[in-house]
Amino acid sequence: MTASNIISVSPVRPTPADTVLLASAQATALAMRDLYQAAVGAGAGGEHVACLVSLAAHHDAYAQTISSLIGRAAPQARDSEIFSSNEGDFGSDTMAVALAAHALENSLVAAHTQLIGMLEGTEGAALIASMVIIEARHVVALAAIAGKSPIDDTDLFLVTPEAAQADAQTTTTVA
Amino acid sequence: MSNSNREELQAFSKIVKATQGADFGPALQSSLSRRRFFIAGGATISFGALLAACGGSTNTGIARLGEAPTKTELVDAPVTDIALLRTATSLEHNAIFVYETVAAAGLLSGDAATLAARFLSDHKAHAEATASLTEKLGGKAYNEPNPRLQTIYIEPALRLITGDDASGIPVTDDPVADVLALAYALETIAGSTYQVYVPMLADSALRAAAIGIGEQEARHAAVIGSLLNPSRLVSSFGLSIAAEYQEQTDVPAAAYAVPSTFGTKAPVPVVLGAANESGIRTSLNLETPSLNSMVYEYLDGE
Repeated sequence: MTASNIISVSPVRPTPADTVLLASAQATALAMRDLYQAAVGAGAGGEHVACLVSLAAHHDAYAQTISSLIGRAAPQARDSEIFSSNEGDFGSDTMAVALAAHALENSLVAAHTQLIGMLEGTEGAALIASMVIIEARHVVALAAIAGKSPIDDTDLFLVTPEAAQADAQTTTTVA
Repeated sequence: MSNSNREELQAFSKIVKATQGADFGPALQSSLSRRRFFIAGGATISFGALLAACGGSTNTGIARLGEAPTKTELVDAPVTDIALLRTATSLEHNAIFVYETVAAAGLLSGDAATLAARFLSDHKAHAEATASLTEKLGGKAYNEPNPRLQTIYIEPALRLITGDDASGIPVTDDPVADVLALAYALETIAGSTYQVYVPMLADSALRAAAIGIGEQEARHAAVIGSLLNPSRLVSSFGLSIAAEYQEQTDVPAAAYAVPSTFGTKAPVPVVLGAANESGIRTSLNLETPSLNSMVYEYLDGE
């Protein structure tokens, strides 16, 4: 067998169109980071406060990594619309925060899945894929923090709602 | 060869030409310094090599036993989208095999059995999806467990759990914990495989389809992680966060709902089976399918 004969003619680096899409993803990641930080600052989290802090750190890492990929095209600023429209749910009530974050992370999974289908460069696609895998796990952790049961509320853990997928279509089209 | 050496060799050649057929007298012999002797030797060897290289295919007189075997050409095995999808399908069948074996053995009950049945159903749907995509691309779907992964991971792992009299492997002490640990590792690897395939797939639409399945595998793993480690759902290892939010240990837990910041391609260790007389249990490292584990199209002809 001749190894490493991978058939792909895709560009490696992000194309100009990719850069626009990835810039939008960075702004979203920064909005998510700020929302989690707002919730922790307001006193949410309880016994799971360290998890909320860690989730904020994850989204900060996503923003930084996208920045390293697209350089000066990175906005380095949060998506103010996402932040302001969700800020009210990220207060001191841990369950409300977990459910709101659960919905947002589900939307991110759907949006980033579609984004991967739109990106031409393999570096950008690989990065977003590595984020989607963990964002899907975020959804599960947040459902558990919200006190949901994987037996009684299985789909909350395992299924990306159709509404999130519809949102994703709108988001990625706009982006 | 340096210039000085070349000049000395030219001078020596003149001497040899001038004295051809002559009887070498003591005077000439004394002029052959040790250094010139080596130069002459080198020139003789080089000339011999040149003659040998110009030689024909006639018998060289060198002894040889037997005939050289005919060379077997390596198979051309491109990693096409079809090969990737076939491998993905085979991995789904590895998972199906595990959950069906566990169910048949009655190793799980209650909520764990309910979840396992749901995961089994999801893997069957994933296998159908990847098989369908394979056929849409003009390939032949591969609806069997990945043979290499089955041999090196799945069967040894299940033997450690259920025991094997022929091999002298005892039944594990805690089958439920071992099945959950194996399922966690297997689901994590399944998610990682689809992640790894994203940049390898040539068709960007297939990339989205692949990660759409991969994220569901990741959710399976996360659910199991949340059951195995409910007190710490998100690992703090590798994160730059305040010390008060860090885990108070130097060793990561065996499972988390969220084990890392990014999806990784790293092997997933899983400890299974009964402890031996030294109290040590067997550790397996599950890895994403490598190039020698892929289900290439040419394998159908073997």
